[in-house]
Amino acid sequence: MSSQRARTSILDKPLSRGKGEVSLSCFALLFSEVVQYSQSRVYTVPELQNRLHELGMDVGSRLIDLYFVREQNSKRETKLINMLLFVKTTLWKCLFGKEAEKLEHANDDDRTYYIIEKEPLVNKFISVPKDKGSLNCATFTAGLVEAVLTNCGFPCKVTAHWHKGTTYMVKFDDFVTNRDKQLGEK
Amino acid sequence: MARQSSRLESKKVNSELLTLTYGALVSQMLRDFENLEEVNKQLERIGYNMGVRLIEDFLSRTNSGRCLDMRETADKIQQAFKMYLNVQPTISNWAAATDEFSLIFDVNPLTEFVELPADVSNLRYSGILCGCIRGALEMVQLEVQCQFVQDQLKGDASTEIRVKFIRRLQDATPAGVLIITSFVDVHLLISRSVLLCLTLLANTYAAIIAQI
Amino acid sequence: MTIYNLYIFDKYGTLLYYGEWNRIKQSGITKEEEAKLMYGMLFSIKSFVNKISPNDPKEGFLYYKTNKYALHYYETPSGIKFVINTDTVSTSVKEFLQQYYSKIWVEYVVKNPLWNGTAVTSDLFKQKSDEFIKQSIMF
Repeated sequence: MSSQRARTSILDKPLSRGKGEVSLSCFALLFSEVVQYSQSRVYTVPELQNRLHELGMDVGSRLIDLYFVREQNSKRETKLINMLLFVKTTLWKCLFGKEAEKLEHANDDDRTYYIIEKEPLVNKFISVPKDKGSLNCATFTAGLVEAVLTNCGFPCKVTAHWHKGTTYMVKFDDFVTNRDKQLGEK
Repeated sequence: MARQSSRLESKKVNSELLTLTYGALVSQMLRDFENLEEVNKQLERIGYNMGVRLIEDFLSRTNSGRCLDMRETADKIQQAFKMYLNVQPTISNWAAATDEFSLIFDVNPLTEFVELPADVSNLRYSGILCGCIRGALEMVQLEVQCQFVQDQLKGDASTEIRVKFIRRLQDATPAGVLIITSFVDVHLLISRSVLLCLTLLANTYAAIIAQI
Repeated sequence: MTIYNLYIFDKYGTLLYYGEWNRIKQSGITKEEEAKLMYGMLFSIKSFVNKISPNDPKEGFLYYKTNKYALHYYETPSGIKFVINTDTVSTSVKEFLQQYYSKIWVEYVVKNPLWNGTAVTSDLFKQKSDEFIKQSIMF
């Protein structure tokens, strides 16, 4: 078993290549099934979003080490803003083939950041019926981002909202921003 | 030709996103169902649902018509694996009657990061692939049986899917729609009065429907 | 040039989508009845064309034309049927329907997780479909 794993392990591939590709249609349909399956197990939209969020977290938590090893010379970011930029650029690019459109800092709240994506891959083919108006399947991506940030030492909550496309609201725990300020003072 | 090849190109995503999303789904199912057989069934069903849709994507990109024999079908399946998962299974082990063959995979992108724990050794982790093939072929009126006979996840040397032809499905006659199968007024159609004949047909339907 | 209307049927003859643009005259029966008539006629014509064909029919029935309009028919190997009525001078309608199939139907219906194989209600699809039809040279 272990010898087989070593042979196919993604870490053995040269970093410059680093990633195989599959068709977008294939992923879109798998995601579509994931949404339907999740829907069949729950009754309400919030429950469905929770499920998608959890699945996203599962994926995110498995991705981070892979990416830091591959893209960042095995070093993790310690500064909040760099970490966010890593998410917005590197992570997004690796996963979805393009960067997220914008990263913004909330005016009224230190702890809140917004990552804005005009057309999220996971929503590309989804048309939400009116009776499920608030459903945004990008909560999957939100979960993914939350797991990445949290597991890198920046605990936060990430939610997805319909705003300028999809906006991911990243709300960090208090100590994260405090720590970051202290780091900045040194 | 240039147009043909550009049609075949499709947008790509990172295979790890697919692998891990699928992994997350399978582990979620293992939490949702106590019974492994139920998980196997669900994975097959999900694959089937995907196949039913994927075939449309495949047809629209490749512009292919219906296959005339299983060899052609096998080639198309191989092409589809290349297109969608970027792997190229080998086709081999044809049965004498050419109604059964194997797809052999050196690598399976779905299992890239996977190791099966002993307590779920009966899980058909990649069962989705079989479902996919079955669903896709059913849409083009082919009923097949599809199953894993070897799996690297279970320690076998390679991963092998066996595809067996069962029967060709008939094009469905629609329910609730009246069909005229014998044409008495053939000369009408052959003559240039196509419109007239159509009106006639339409009127016949209208008359029959009105009676119902 | 003009596109009048569009019917999309699944392989069992269920009407999945209907759209109309420049249709001046209505048939005077309900949409459901009209769709059934349409499908019945297509089914009959198709089997007739195949039956009467003097050599091996490759693609079968493609279109018919009257002096007022032309009906074009495109069926995918999976049995989805696209039927479009245009004026009599429109050309390359078959290619247009193929494009419609791959760029609109597959993208916005087949890949929509919330579509369950019945009549299409997706607003996104309707919007894209409408745009696609309206920006075609035939419209």
